[in-house]
Formats: sequence, C-alpha cells, structure tokens
Amino acid sequence: MLSPADPIDPMIDIVDLCKRFTKGKETITIFDALNLAIPRGDFVAVMGPSGSGKTTLLNLLGGIDRSDSGAIEVAGERLDRLSESELSRWRASHIGFIFQFYNLMPMLTAAQNVELPLLLTRLGRKERRERVETALGVVGLADRVKHYPKEMSGGQQQRVAIARAIVSDPALLLCDEPTGDLDRSTADEVLSILQVLNRDLGKTIVMVTHDPAAAQYAKRSLHLDKGHFIEKELVA
Amino acid sequence: MRSIILQILAVTAINLKSLPQRLWLSLATVIAVGLVVTVLLAFLSMANGFRRTIADSGAEDIAVVLRSGAVSEINSVVLRDQVRLIEDGPGIARGPDGKPQTSGELYLTVNGIKRSTGTKASLPLRGLGPLGPGLRRGVVITAGRMFNPGTNEIIVGRALGKEFEGFELGQTVTFNSTRWSVVGIFAADGSVFESEIWADLPVLQSLFKRAGSVQTVRARLTSPAAIETLRAYSDNDPRLKLDVMSEAAYFAQQASNTSDLIQKLGWPLAIAMALGSLAGALNTMYSSVAARATEIATLRAIGFGGFSAFVGTLVESLILAAIGGVIGAAATYLVFDGFTASTMGASFSQVVFNFQLTPRLIGQGLLLALAVGLFGGLFPALRAARMPIVAGLYG
Amino acid sequence: MNDLVLIRKNLFRRKLRAILMMVSILIAFAIFAVLASFERAFNAGQDRATPDRLVVLNKINFTQPLPISYYNRVAAIDGVAQITHFSWFGGYYQEPRNFIAAFAVDPENWMKLRDTDFVFSPEARAAFIRERTGVLVGARMMEKWGWKVGDHIPISSSIWSQKSGSHAWDFIIVGSFTARIPQADTNVMLMGYDYFNETRSFGKDLISWLALRTTSVAANERVIEAIDGMFANSPYETTTDSEKAFSKAFAAQLGNIALIVELVVGAAFVTILMIVGNTMVMTVRERTREIGVLKTLGFSGGRILRMVLGESILLALLGGLPGLGVALLLITKVRDSLMNFVPALSLYPDIAAAAVGLMVVFGIITGLVPALNAMRLNIVTALGRS
Repeated sequence: MLSPADPIDPMIDIVDLCKRFTKGKETITIFDALNLAIPRGDFVAVMGPSGSGKTTLLNLLGGIDRSDSGAIEVAGERLDRLSESELSRWRASHIGFIFQFYNLMPMLTAAQNVELPLLLTRLGRKERRERVETALGVVGLADRVKHYPKEMSGGQQQRVAIARAIVSDPALLLCDEPTGDLDRSTADEVLSILQVLNRDLGKTIVMVTHDPAAAQYAKRSLHLDKGHFIEKELVA
Repeated sequence: MRSIILQILAVTAINLKSLPQRLWLSLATVIAVGLVVTVLLAFLSMANGFRRTIADSGAEDIAVVLRSGAVSEINSVVLRDQVRLIEDGPGIARGPDGKPQTSGELYLTVNGIKRSTGTKASLPLRGLGPLGPGLRRGVVITAGRMFNPGTNEIIVGRALGKEFEGFELGQTVTFNSTRWSVVGIFAADGSVFESEIWADLPVLQSLFKRAGSVQTVRARLTSPAAIETLRAYSDNDPRLKLDVMSEAAYFAQQASNTSDLIQKLGWPLAIAMALGSLAGALNTMYSSVAARATEIATLRAIGFGGFSAFVGTLVESLILAAIGGVIGAAATYLVFDGFTASTMGASFSQVVFNFQLTPRLIGQGLLLALAVGLFGGLFPALRAARMPIVAGLYG
Repeated sequence: MNDLVLIRKNLFRRKLRAILMMVSILIAFAIFAVLASFERAFNAGQDRATPDRLVVLNKINFTQPLPISYYNRVAAIDGVAQITHFSWFGGYYQEPRNFIAAFAVDPENWMKLRDTDFVFSPEARAAFIRERTGVLVGARMMEKWGWKVGDHIPISSSIWSQKSGSHAWDFIIVGSFTARIPQADTNVMLMGYDYFNETRSFGKDLISWLALRTTSVAANERVIEAIDGMFANSPYETTTDSEKAFSKAFAAQLGNIALIVELVVGAAFVTILMIVGNTMVMTVRERTREIGVLKTLGFSGGRILRMVLGESILLALLGGLPGLGVALLLITKVRDSLMNFVPALSLYPDIAAAAVGLMVVFGIITGLVPALNAMRLNIVTALGRS
C-alpha cells in the first residue's frame, strides 16, 4: 500500500488489477497487479507521462472500461462483478465525470445539459429544476441557465460540465484533464470550484492532469509511470 | 480560361476520388434516381405502346361510318338502307369489277379467359364481308386458312391468341350455343386488329339476331381528301345522319383517353418521386461538401477560385444523377420494353399492346434525372464556393 | 425536459437535413395514400356488393342482351327475394363527351333492391313510380350539372334512337337520392323501362341484365344453378355470378391496377428507405462522442437504442402525417374530375390507419441499424480515450 487509506471504508480499493489491450497482433499491458486505495473525502491528482495509464485508470474507476483480472471496488461496489446495465445504473448514481473538452450536448441549454443525469432518476420536474438551479449556483452560473454551449466561454462550459457531474449528488468525481483546454486564470477558477466541492461538500475527487499547478489544488498527488505508482506526497 | 478549366478539373477529381468515403449515401442517391426514371419510363412506354398500337391501326384513306353520337363501334347501328346509300356515295373507290370498296361490319364482344390472370375478359368479335380484310393494312393468314363464307368458322388475331386462352388453331369455341371452329390465325401489321376475332358477317347477323343491320361501314376512299365529300353527302341526306371520319381519326380518338390517362398518372408520380430523391441528393451533396471542407479550403488557400469549388460539386452531383438515369433507363428497357399487356379499350373490349420505349422517351427520363442532379447539386455547390477558408482549414 | 425533448432536439440539430428527410417521407406517404385510395375506389364495386346479390348476364358477354321475359321467370325461382332488370342507355347530355350513366329499370323493384345503398324520400319514390317520363337522378349528378327536381332535360343515347329517328329523349327529373353508404355512387340516372321500351326503334323487349338478391347466401348456389339451367341451350344462355365477382372481373379488365400500384409504391418506399436509412446511420455516426458521454452519465444501452429508434419514428411521423394531409387534399381536388372513372374516391380511414402503421414500421427499419450501433457503442472508443 502506497497511500494511507482508511482501512474500514475506502472509496476506492484496487487489488491486483490487470489491464491489457490488444492492438492487432500485439498485446500491450497497461497494468500488471496494480494496487490502490483512496479513502472517502480525498482529493487525489494523478500525474504521469502520456501512455502511463492515467486515462485507463479513470475509465476503470468510472466503470466505462473493464479490467482483465483483479478486484476493483468503488463506493462499496465490486465493479468487476457488475453487468453492463448494472454498471450504467451504478454510474448514474455514484459517479460524476468531468472531461477535458467538456462534452456538453450542443443542442441543449446549460440547464438542460445539467438536467441530463436527472433523467435517470425518479425525481419530478420541480425537484429536478431545483437541483439544476442548485448545481449551477454552486459553479456560479445561475445566470447562464438558458445559454447554449456555443454561447459560452471554455471556462463557463467546463463549469456547466461540473454542475452536470454533481447534480445527481455522486460521492466520487472523476476528472480527466479538466483544465487542459483552459488558460491559467480560468483554470484556477475551475480548480477552486473542485476544491470547494471536496472541502465543503465532502466529494471524493480523482483528477488526472499534466499540469503541476493544477495538482497543487489536490490534497496529494500520485505519479503513474509504466503502470505503477511512484509516491510523491504533497500537502494541500 | 485555361487556368479555370484546370482548377475545375482538379476539384472535380478530388470530389470523385472521395466518393468511396460516401459510398452508401451516394449509392442510395444513384438508385433513388434510377427508380424515379424507371417509374417514369414504365408509364411513358406503356402510354406510348398503347397509343401506337391503336393510332397506327388507322389509315387516312379509309372512312369509318358510325351512327351519329355513337363514339365507338360497339354502340353504333347502321341500317341496311343506310349501308346502300353509303355504298353509292361520292369519293368511294371502286374495284376493277366496278363494285364499291366497302365493308359493312358487326362488332360484338364475347368472353375469353386471360392467360396471365385466369380472369374473364371481353374480346371483340367482328363480322365482316369479303372485302373487309382488304381494307386493312398488312392482313395475312399466318397459320391455317381464311374462314369460308356461310360457315361457323372464325380466324383469330395473333396478339389475341397469345394473351387469351382457347383460341388455338383447330379448337372449337361456343358462342350463343353454337360451335365455332378456329380455322386460321392472322397478323395485321401489329395493329389493333390483331386483338380481334373475325367471322363471316351474314353468319354473325343471323346467329346474333342482327339481320338487316350492321354497326359500322368501312370504305376505301379515292383519296384522303375525299372524306370531306363523303361527310358532306351524309350530312345533307336526312336518311343518313351518320358520323363519317377517317379511320386514322377514329383510332386516334379511341386511343387518346387511355394513353392520356396513363401519361397523366405517370408524370406527376415521377415528379413527386423525383422531389423525394432530390432531398436525398441534396443531403448527399451537403455531406460531400462537409467531408471535403478541408480539401476545398486548402485549395482556396493556395489560390483556387470559388467557382471551381462550385463547378466541382455540381459535376459530382450531375454524374451521380446521370448514372442513376442510365441505370433506370437500362432497367426499364430490360424489364418493360416489349412487355405485352392488355387493357380495356373504348369499346369495352380488350386491346393487346406492347410497351414501347423510344429514344425520345429515354431522353425525357435522362432529363428528369439530370434535373434532380442539377437542383441537388446547386445549393451544396454554392455552399462549397462560399465556405470561409479559415473555418475549413481549422475545422 | 424528458427523453422526447432530447429526441426532438437531436432530430432538429441539422434543420435542413431533417426537413429534407421529412419532405421525401412526405412524398412517399402521399403517393402511398393516394394510390391506395385509387385502387380501393376502383374496386369499390366489390366492397359495396353484399354476398347475397347476384347478376344474371348473357353468357356470350355482358354487352349482349337478354329478353325481358326472363325477368318474371327468374323472379319466380325459389330463393330469389328481390329482383330488378337493367338496360344500359348509353346516355350523354348535349355533347357525346358529356357521358351520363343512365339505366332503364323497373322503378319500384329497383328502389327496393337499392334501398341498402341509397336513401329515397317518400315523395321521390312515389313520383318515380307514377311518372312515366320521369327520371330519378343521384345527388352527385344533380350537383354536377346543376339540375333541380322538376327540370326538363334532353338526354341523348349513343346507342338507341326513338321511333321518330331522334337520338334524344326528353325527361323530367322527378326526384333525387343520396348515398346511404360511402361507396355508393350517386352519379347515376334511372328511367322507367316501360317508356324507354315503347319509344325506342329497335331492341324491343330486350334488357341488359338482371340483378337480384337471394333469400340467404346459402341459397346462392342453388339459385345460380336454377337460373343458368333454365336457359341452357336457349338462344339466350345466361351466366349468373355474384355481383362482387362481376365487379372484380370488370375492374380486372383494365389491367392489373393493384400490381401497378404496388410497384410504384414499392419503388417510392425503397427510394426513401435507402435515403433516410443511410442518413440516419450517418447522423448517428456523427454523434458517436455524445452517445459516449450519455453512456458515461449512466444512460443504458437499451435507453439509447430507444432514443435513436424514437428519433427515426418521430422523423417518419413528422414526414408521413403531413403526407396524409397532402393526399387528402389531392384526393378532394381530383375527386370531381374523376367522378366517371373512379366514383367512390376518398381517403378511407383504414388506409390512413395502415399508413400510420407503416410510418412506425418505416421508422423502426430506418433507425434499427444506427440504434443497434449506438447501443453497442463502446464508451472508451466513442470518447476517443484509450
């Protein structure tokens, strides 16, 4: 174990995880017996060179990719034991994804984009609207409700994406280069929001990034190289 | 000028080379245009075949005399005295023996069974005098012999024998509880008469209780212009009150209703379908322009004009449509040309005809295809020409 | 917002493309509805005929006559409930091209037999029986020529002539009637046989055919055998058939209308199936990344399949329903000019219902491949993350 996980209730607990890709005739091993534990309430930055497996790790944690062997437990659920449709349902209630290129639906307004995950819940129209307003309020975009993505700046779009990620109140946020496409000051705004989410709302955050300055916002950072973690403790 | 042509050729080449990327969509457009052309040409060749079969049957120098207002042979009644007056009328050619070249005829319908469907259909049974066959172009007995006067013998038109059951040479058929033998098969130059059964006039008159009257009189005129003389003669004699017209005019009028109807159905249907496939063509071409945005922008950036982008796109669209048109015309030719059908003519009886595809009709089909290509390419071509270079270069 | 909003927003993302698709679907369904209605109207005679109705025709051909004496002889046959005779008048009004469908009948019995098709007022009924020179004219024919009850009209025949040599008869319109069922054609004129028979110069005591109703469908076979047997080997042999079979055979003489309709509709549908199907595949392929995002958010494969299918069905309905509207408009416009050719032309409810069903099927077919592609889409590949 490389990190001080809460032994009773970790948010993430990976044991002997293996992941390989086949490209044509070649088999590339991404992870060979990876172990990782992240406690609830942590904010971890995952850094490392391209091809080190950062994104694959995030995909596995989010249940959008499957491991080849080993155990992967996230938010109390063994992902390697769930079917595709169980994974879909699980994602809807436990995970918030934030991407580098925001990935908003161009034909939907900010509010509608944020509302999307709520379509997977049993919430009524009024309750959904309240939740959307709250989420957009948290990211400071209460006044951009009716705007379409193309009418907003990159930072604003990313904040809409964050609102979308938190609207169904998931415990874990997975961020893939959330500031990779933003300038410094906008990036700082976005990262501050993530920090608030972690500190004040208790969200566990795993953030993949290239940017050491972004990693500064995390409580600690892990370095991934050739499928293995190299510890580099930082203080937030 | 040369530069513009070179530019256009370059852009067109790029367009055509990128076609495989949009293979299915382009193929859908080609087939859609092909189907439109097939539908149009099927209707037009049907109308054309029907019209030619009937209209070409009539001669200018043969007069057809009907009861006034009768419209078609089956309604008409011409009494014995009237027949005599006509025979003595002016403008009628006489044979070497001095006899007028006329034929009083009965036109009845009898039931037959259509081979292809097994359903009952009305067939024309014509009773004619000894001069009757001679008043028609190209009548020859192709098998058997001519009926003998005064007997229950019939000869059958070639086309009718092919389409309907029970009229093979040597067979007997029963009309009106009398038995008739088929003693001959005749051809008549592909005219409507090949869809008829012929028998001796006096025999038919007595068996069908029409003694003393006929339905029409056909007469050979001394010249096509003599029809006016004959008509004036009929109009001025209160005993006659008959409609006199040339056989050509009679058949043209008989054919026009049905062939007009077929054409009136065919064109709107084809145009409606063309509009539907136009939507497909526009879609294909818009996605073609979108797919080549970078190439077009690159060419524009190095100095190519907007006009060449315009023409290149239009040419791609026209080529797709032209391929579709050719496929459609070829399909119609293979499937429908010479296809034999029969329908009810103006006298409640069947007319056998062949679909006839002519170069003129094929031209009309290709024009429709190119129209789809032109309109389908025009707006996308304008978009290609007006596309901002920077947007194209950087996505 | 709900899934329908999402589907609608997806569909109209590229407005021009969506509208083009709709136009082509509109045209295909308009063609379908118009041609299917034509075919139906064309065969309306068969639909109208109830199975207990028979027609007695000259065996040689329906254009050959029968003697009037057959009327009473057939009426006396056991199993014949009602009977009337018809004589084809071959009428026209003023000009030979103004065709008038006119028949000489036995007024009282004709009205009894046709009571199920037409509505006769008591005054019209009484007047038609009473007035020898009176004619009864259907509502649509009255409307077409602007006639009123009480008008004197000369009707010419292209076949018959009066003893005076004239081809025209002067009639008085003594009444009119309307249709009881939609398929019944009221573009028709009836005259009393007695007056017609006495005044015509030839063909005396001949009629065109008999129409009758049997006491029950079960009696049909027996009645047919009795009639045709009675006149076998006579100078006027008969062939008796159900009215339905006769109408069907008559319509079939024009050629295989059904086949032509099927071929054209088939061609139109194949055309748009290819166009719309290909476009749907392309559209969904362009959206690969977004579908990946939806799946990441927790939308299941099944839900995404339903959304894509919903989109293609919505597209088919948005194109097809206006297509039905266009068909209705077209049919209403050409109905009057085609009155003689296809009298009962209208957009029948079951054809419209079949069209709506077809739209759904069409939507499913065009959406199925892209929907399955979307359902099976791998998130990691879709997002370009590997």
